[in-house]
Amino acid sequence: MSARAPHVVPLRRLLWVLAALLALLAASAGSALLRLGPWNTVLNLGISVTKTLLVMAVFMHETEARALTRLVSALGFIWLGMLVALTLLDELTRAATPAPW
Amino acid sequence: MSAAPALLEEQFDDPVQQREAATLGMWVFLATEILFFGVLFASYTVCRVLYPQGFAAASRRTDMLLGTLETAVLLTSSALVALALRAIKLDERRSAVLLLAGTAALGASFLIMHGFEYYSEYTEHLVPGVDFLQHGPQAHAVELFFCLYYFITGFHSLHVLIGVAIMTVLSARTAGGSFGPQRYTTCELAALYWHLVDIVWIFVYPLIYLVGRAA
Amino acid sequence: MSAAEAAVLPGSFLAGGHTLREWLITRDHKRIAILYGLGITFFFFLGGAAATLIRLNLITPEGALLQAATYNKAFTFHGVVMVWFFLIPSIPTTLGNFLLPLMIGARDVAFPRLNLLSWYLYIGGGVFAVAALLAGGVDTGWTFYAPFSTMFSNSHVFLVVIAVFVSGFSTILTGLNFIVTIHCLRAPGMSWFRLPLFVWAMYAVSLVMVLATPVLAMTLALIGLERGLGVGIFDPALGGDPLLFQHLFWFYSHPAVYIMILPAMGVASEIISCFARRRVFGYRFMTYSMLAIAVIGFLVWGHHMFVAGQSMYATLVFSLLSFVVAVPSAIKVFNWTATLRKGEISFESPMLYALGFVGLFMLGGLTGLMLAAPALDMPLHDTYFVIAHFHYVMVGGSVMAYLGGIHYWWPKLTGRRYPESWARFAAILMFFGFNLTFFPQYLLGYEGMPRRYHAYAPQFQVLNVLSSGGASILAVSYLLPIAYLLWSLRYGRAAGDNPWQARGLEWQTTSPPPTENFRRPPRVREVYDYAEPAP
Repeated sequence: MSARAPHVVPLRRLLWVLAALLALLAASAGSALLRLGPWNTVLNLGISVTKTLLVMAVFMHETEARALTRLVSALGFIWLGMLVALTLLDELTRAATPAPW
Repeated sequence: MSAAPALLEEQFDDPVQQREAATLGMWVFLATEILFFGVLFASYTVCRVLYPQGFAAASRRTDMLLGTLETAVLLTSSALVALALRAIKLDERRSAVLLLAGTAALGASFLIMHGFEYYSEYTEHLVPGVDFLQHGPQAHAVELFFCLYYFITGFHSLHVLIGVAIMTVLSARTAGGSFGPQRYTTCELAALYWHLVDIVWIFVYPLIYLVGRAA
Repeated sequence: MSAAEAAVLPGSFLAGGHTLREWLITRDHKRIAILYGLGITFFFFLGGAAATLIRLNLITPEGALLQAATYNKAFTFHGVVMVWFFLIPSIPTTLGNFLLPLMIGARDVAFPRLNLLSWYLYIGGGVFAVAALLAGGVDTGWTFYAPFSTMFSNSHVFLVVIAVFVSGFSTILTGLNFIVTIHCLRAPGMSWFRLPLFVWAMYAVSLVMVLATPVLAMTLALIGLERGLGVGIFDPALGGDPLLFQHLFWFYSHPAVYIMILPAMGVASEIISCFARRRVFGYRFMTYSMLAIAVIGFLVWGHHMFVAGQSMYATLVFSLLSFVVAVPSAIKVFNWTATLRKGEISFESPMLYALGFVGLFMLGGLTGLMLAAPALDMPLHDTYFVIAHFHYVMVGGSVMAYLGGIHYWWPKLTGRRYPESWARFAAILMFFGFNLTFFPQYLLGYEGMPRRYHAYAPQFQVLNVLSSGGASILAVSYLLPIAYLLWSLRYGRAAGDNPWQARGLEWQTTSPPPTENFRRPPRVREVYDYAEPAP
């Protein structure tokens, strides 16, 4: 078996991603102290999604390279989305039926 | 001198197939973890949608500073484990050992900080089922929030603890020469696990610590 | 070869390694399949014992045999054991474990040690289930609805929850193992569309196992936590929603029923093509439909909650999706039927089971459509109509297919042939006994008899007595295979490599196969090539 050197992520990239993650953390903490109404939540969740994508794309990249594994991780999130969406469909659309008496 | 290549198990035809199978298996496992934690996130979403003010009031009772520090610690630990894996592939054994140990140490510090959080919440009577005394119109919603808080952070901390144990063992085994450029799949899989634990926390952080802070 | 000479074939996976210890640390998927088979059979009869108590109690309207509280424990135990310790594992862990590597031309599954761990988790969960029984049982129903299960039941909920939680991980690991095996270990030339439909069924079921079961695990953990702490997110006093439990529970438990039926569909395709000597009609549609069932099956769970207080809009959406999920199943029924057309059909015992499966599954599926219509579900929910529906698909469907598969691959597994006339008799008796047991239950439900009641109004007695009578016939038909299959282990004729002249890689090796599955690399050809001679 030939000893092929494994593919290695450049050091710089890892460090920049860490810096970006910490910056995003500061942004979410900082923006949480600002009164943005519902946008606080939108912004914070958006930052979480971005952080997640960074971790998945760069830190986990080596093994994420196959399309199949990307599909597998996507499926997990999509299925969770289906659970949340259809449950909320019920929880948010109930009509209170007061007792007739 | 780098570690010898991993033993080829009988069911596999070649090491590439073995490695691909192990990796795919780990990703499938990670997908199951997303759904496992997902139940708690789904429950949180439903309860928060029903009781937005209550959840905001409850979130303000959490320790934002500690929570933010914990997040920074976990993000850094993810970077450390990625660096460790890089070091193993470059046959830089000593760096790898230290980086893996560093990952474990950061994970342990996360747990310690979380322990402080739990303790202070206990002194403030915010532990449903054990010691919960809150008043006001939002008391019930606050209790719901804290039920979810303990469930989510409890399961998450358990996963961190397991990860710390794994990283410690891997650090020791790397020191002993078990891993190298031709043999790193186990470390890769463990790193994936660690990143998942980090990702779960990336979502936990704003949902638990950052709600209604500006009010 | 005479029976006397046909002792365990030397060099097969059954030879060598005789000790209990060697069996308990095996990594051979074929031995693990047998280990599972023993557990599955044990739990089937345990669940069947609970069913016997139920049917005996329901002979009289007063339900004189059992008190109400005990009756509740009987149907709960029956459900828990049959769902989690029999049906869900049955085909995948026995036939699936045994056949999957053989059918794809591999030496074993991707993770043999994980496979063994799966078995230990299954048995571990089973120990907790039996412990719960011995400690006094559980009365919540297999559905564990909150707040009864979390706050008011005085039974051993915790033990059963642990039992199911632990065995759930067995399921997850099996599904994971199968997915990786099918993706990574196919023999050269075994492309996706040359895979037997049984393999596709294992793939589809594994997707469901892996995506659904973790949700069950956490949901049950929440039940346990709420019960232990006395407070939790399903507690109405806190503003929690008991219906949230139902959403989380059924998100798993509806796909769970597809875990139970997809493997059966795979078995049916194998048997029908063999005994019609024809390629399965519409092979690609059969694969797509199994995947469609697996996916759409996740989107219909609210049809269990039409009368629970779910919103009207959610009800409409779930009802529509429930109609949609019936389409791929219907396609499969049409295709099995079309496979028979112009075939050279013979009625060996596996074929009798498979044909019984198709008919009974169809009836059960049609009544499922009836229940999917909210207007019909209003009066039928929680009646015997529902019970009849799911027993038609799970027992008339899955169990018949499981037995058909056991009979079809018995020669391959054991190297022996069982007495065919006894097997045909058992299959026909089962069909008759099954219908006598469960068809009256459709009528009972239609007439309004509620489920989970230990007593009933006197006008329902005749149909109940018919049903209980049928159950006794059904019981005999389940015991007969045990008897003659065990008999065949010692006295059965030697089977030879391919007694059914079937196609598929498993028939290209010896019966039983050697530990490494194939002594010579198998010849991979187009799937179901019955037009060509056997290789």
